[in-house]
Amino acid sequence: MKNMNLYSRGDKLFVYINMALIAVFAISALYPFIYITAMSLSSGFAARAGTVVLSPVDLTLAAYERVMSDPAFWNSYKNTFIYTFGGTFTSLLLVIPGAYALSRPNLWGRRFWNLMVAFTMWFHAGMIPFWLNIRDLGLLDSYFGIIIAFAVNAFNIILLRNFFESIPDSFQEAARMDGANEFQILWKVFVPLSKPAIATITLFCIVARWNGFFWAMVLLTDEGKIPLQVYLRHTISALSDDEEFSSTLLSAPYSVETVTAAIIVCSIIPVLLIYPWVQKYFNKGIMLGGVKE
Amino acid sequence: MTTIIAYREVSMRKLTLTAAAMATTALITVSPALANDDHKIVDDPLELTIHLHHVRSTAYDEDWPVEKVAREMTNIHLKNATVGSNSTNSAEAMNLLLATGKLPDIIGSARIKESVDQYGPQGAYVPLNDLIEEHAPHIKAFFDERPELMAAASSSDGNLYYIPYLPDGKYGRAFFIRYDWLDKLGLEVPNNVEELHAVLTAFKTQDPNGNGMADEVPYFARQWEELPRLVTLWGGRSSGSDTYHDFYVDEGKIKYPYMGEGYREGVKNLAQWYEEGLIDAEVFTRGSSAREYLLSENLGGMTHDWFASTSGYNDTLAEPIPGFEFKAFAPPENVNGDRIEEHRRIPVKPDGWAIGGTNKHPVETIKYFDFYFSPEGRRLVNFGVEGQTYNMVDGKPQFTEEFLTNGRPVNSQLYEIGAQLQARGYFQDYEYEKQWSNKYALEGIALYDEGDYLIDQFLGVAMNADEQKVFDKYFASARTYMLEKQQAWILGSSDVEAEWDDYMSQLDRMGMNEVLEVMQSAYDRQYGG
Amino acid sequence: MAMIDKESSAGTETIVPKLTMSQRLDRIQMHLRREWQIYLMLAPVIIWFLLFLYRPMYGLQIAFKDYSVFLGIDGSPWVGLEHFQTLFQSDQFLRALKNTLIISAMTLFIGFPMPIILALMFNEILNETFKRTAQTIVYLPHFISSVIIAGIIITAFSPSAGIVNTVLGWFGVDPIYFLTKPEWFRPIFIGSGIWQEAGFQSIVFLAAIAGVNPSLYESAVVDGANRWQMMWKITIPCILPTIIIMLIIRIGNLLEVSFEMIILLYQPATYQTADVINTYIYRQGLIGGQYDLAAAAGLFNAIVAFCLVMSANTIAKRVSKTSLW
Repeated sequence: MKNMNLYSRGDKLFVYINMALIAVFAISALYPFIYITAMSLSSGFAARAGTVVLSPVDLTLAAYERVMSDPAFWNSYKNTFIYTFGGTFTSLLLVIPGAYALSRPNLWGRRFWNLMVAFTMWFHAGMIPFWLNIRDLGLLDSYFGIIIAFAVNAFNIILLRNFFESIPDSFQEAARMDGANEFQILWKVFVPLSKPAIATITLFCIVARWNGFFWAMVLLTDEGKIPLQVYLRHTISALSDDEEFSSTLLSAPYSVETVTAAIIVCSIIPVLLIYPWVQKYFNKGIMLGGVKE
Repeated sequence: MTTIIAYREVSMRKLTLTAAAMATTALITVSPALANDDHKIVDDPLELTIHLHHVRSTAYDEDWPVEKVAREMTNIHLKNATVGSNSTNSAEAMNLLLATGKLPDIIGSARIKESVDQYGPQGAYVPLNDLIEEHAPHIKAFFDERPELMAAASSSDGNLYYIPYLPDGKYGRAFFIRYDWLDKLGLEVPNNVEELHAVLTAFKTQDPNGNGMADEVPYFARQWEELPRLVTLWGGRSSGSDTYHDFYVDEGKIKYPYMGEGYREGVKNLAQWYEEGLIDAEVFTRGSSAREYLLSENLGGMTHDWFASTSGYNDTLAEPIPGFEFKAFAPPENVNGDRIEEHRRIPVKPDGWAIGGTNKHPVETIKYFDFYFSPEGRRLVNFGVEGQTYNMVDGKPQFTEEFLTNGRPVNSQLYEIGAQLQARGYFQDYEYEKQWSNKYALEGIALYDEGDYLIDQFLGVAMNADEQKVFDKYFASARTYMLEKQQAWILGSSDVEAEWDDYMSQLDRMGMNEVLEVMQSAYDRQYGG
Repeated sequence: MAMIDKESSAGTETIVPKLTMSQRLDRIQMHLRREWQIYLMLAPVIIWFLLFLYRPMYGLQIAFKDYSVFLGIDGSPWVGLEHFQTLFQSDQFLRALKNTLIISAMTLFIGFPMPIILALMFNEILNETFKRTAQTIVYLPHFISSVIIAGIIITAFSPSAGIVNTVLGWFGVDPIYFLTKPEWFRPIFIGSGIWQEAGFQSIVFLAAIAGVNPSLYESAVVDGANRWQMMWKITIPCILPTIIIMLIIRIGNLLEVSFEMIILLYQPATYQTADVINTYIYRQGLIGGQYDLAAAAGLFNAIVAFCLVMSANTIAKRVSKTSLW
């Protein structure tokens, strides 16, 4: 589709400048990751002194050893996977049909429903009422509670609804002629045509779940159910407290900084792997496209 | 008797070494008759629920060895009822607990003071004054000797709603300098401001690290607030407590440090020092890595930081930097001829435990609290379980060799067995920390003890609603303004001498006088001014 | 479920003559019989919203109460607009409001187009491997916590060792202590924000571009259009609905400035340009545990945001037929 013969000679110059700019930006964006990796492999002292710039100083695996030898780390990793996959799946299950319904012109009160969804982007109940509500629903301290209570997000619904709206009517009319019901139209026509948008909101769900910690901290009592990000915070708070009191840790091979970096590196790897999967849906020059007519 | 009098006087005057030493002994051996009594509070085991939240123990654990011993001795069984135990924020956890509307029998938490001040008068917590008077002889004995600590922990209605965690040990921060650099340049430890200026200038210009570059950073700090701390050298103040930018008390009058003549003089000189390169050019953004970086790179010359952690570098850096010697030195004489160390540990914390308003056994509970003020209880909560973490040597608890040398931080080991948890109300025993302190730190503390440089502290006030309203209305904005000016003056973007009068009248307009007034009225009420 | 007045329906049956009750019921019945599947799809989401987000919203009333956690929401006394007065009474609040608006507006004008430009630039890359790798890399900084990013920024702008001052030094410029200079705070803050988030934010636009019908490009090539023309004539118009939706949402966040990042980067010396509403309230020491004030601040934010979004939405609807609702 898009290949060189689509480009004139002037275009080629344009293409190279473009690539150079992107390369510069990408290199600068790669830096934090290099930095944090170098930090995780440095000695505790060097990390605290801030002498790590590009490569590890006094190379050591001590931080990783400390992290990986802690069963709580692996347990929280497992929990993060449960919340991420459970949460994302639940989210798609609710959001896709919901967004479809909201995009239908023959839905009565469509404007009202859409407003009701958008309203929640700005108006929040506040922590205590939200917490009490979750408690009253009997969802405190449970995997299911964390999964269901954050399953839907107004932004994702609006994004997907917007994409559905841009799909020309002709596609579904054909299906309707064939006697397809709404579920079939959604599943057979809209979903395949909306793969980039669905991939995007899937990614957003995964990322939000992966990084989320505040509510897990507040809603979960059992330490066995916490996700990785909460584990990270617990570790930081315990280690920095130790360092404040004990000068013996001054010469320990790890420090808060290196352990934090090691946990962050471990937590980034899965999100690094998920992105190429999402990209598949971006780069195919999708189907016949949802073009506004 | 003399010790008690000495202590009473302490509230306004400096604490002498002997008085301190004697008072400590007196507290440990308070009423020998009680020392061997039976600690059983109830004949049949009594169960009480507890919310316990502190950064290192965000829930109560019945299996802590310390708790097992306490249970055995008192017959009180605590049951965990902690809310929000995965949160690292104790205040948040306690608010969630209150929001549930059902309080457990005991609530122990970091930063509990804010909560008892606000909700104690509303009935969330039981006032403890009478209970202590009648049922808690050890707590009563403690507060009888340190009435100012009782006053500090009380709320604006005059009631005490929580038993605080009471840290022991006075010394926090001190001035540290590179002794080996002084030797190398043939200089003496600076005794006054002029000498300090000369020493720092020599550090800057005479290349003590010997690398041929003037890259030395004479004065540095991990917290930039330790830079204005130096105004004490010109007779100013930077804070009255262990919190930065706090009020201070001068002969019974509440004052704000950034409004005095000494402060003005100090800032003028610090701006000059900054200009001359005697102060880390990046002091405001260097942050926590300052000490590690500047010491290990052989660049930093002097700082003002904690005894314990700063002393440790003498061991860590002995090898990489031959001759490295970074030790405490006495505060140089200020322009008025006084030697002042402004920072000290606060003797009473806003952490501790309280009795929930619906507790059906307040008497048993206060007796349980009292247990931890008895010699046995205090030893248990400070040192852990006898025979496991410590043994009695010559009548004093001594941590076992194994416990001290297994390479793990002593504090975390104690937390793990349920000792030293500051969500309990207890009186710490400095001896516990002394046993694992770095020898350079102990040397420094001895030096400061000898010279008696500490000054009295402001222990805070509990304002009533009206006072609080005035305070909230003005103070934060005024403080923001003062800090903005402070940095601008030190960085040299404006001139303190030229702006001082405007500055003072602006503070007047911003309501600082009203703030000082309400602070004063709260102070007078609380400390019987 | 369909108890909503028909005026608000953007659907087909708009002009409804006077109907009797039974006729109305008939119509509703008919509609439901035909369209029940849509409502079945909508129901779970709406129930979810009611249960998890609307049910606790009675809690918003604490903005007008002297809220005591212990007495509970119902038991706390009303105080009217007192919390709003507390928030707005200082001239430092006005400064914070001004800073918030300036930072937001600058972010909007510079920060909003960046991810779009980035997405369009990615779209022009032919080499698939290069494209995918670069995309993955630019999305990474989003996952690094603010504390670390702030540390990198502070180091980069350090007067003694920072890369920025080193480069300036090559041109004979004396080291500048950027992070204590009020005039430099906003450019540094906004620039670093774009650098950290542009890659991640471009994903939405990449998805939109992927949805463009390739046959449009093919016929454009036949017509002899170059890449530049195709971008302006095809790609941008096709992703315009997405751009508009994102813009409206962004406008709704005008009063939200990354609090965490400001706290990490600002100094008393830079308060005059850096202090925003969030940081101001935080520094006033008002928010710690004072949920009523926090609720008042949140409500103020939400109402302003909502008004802005309403206007933006109305304009967008007129101009482009794209809207949030």
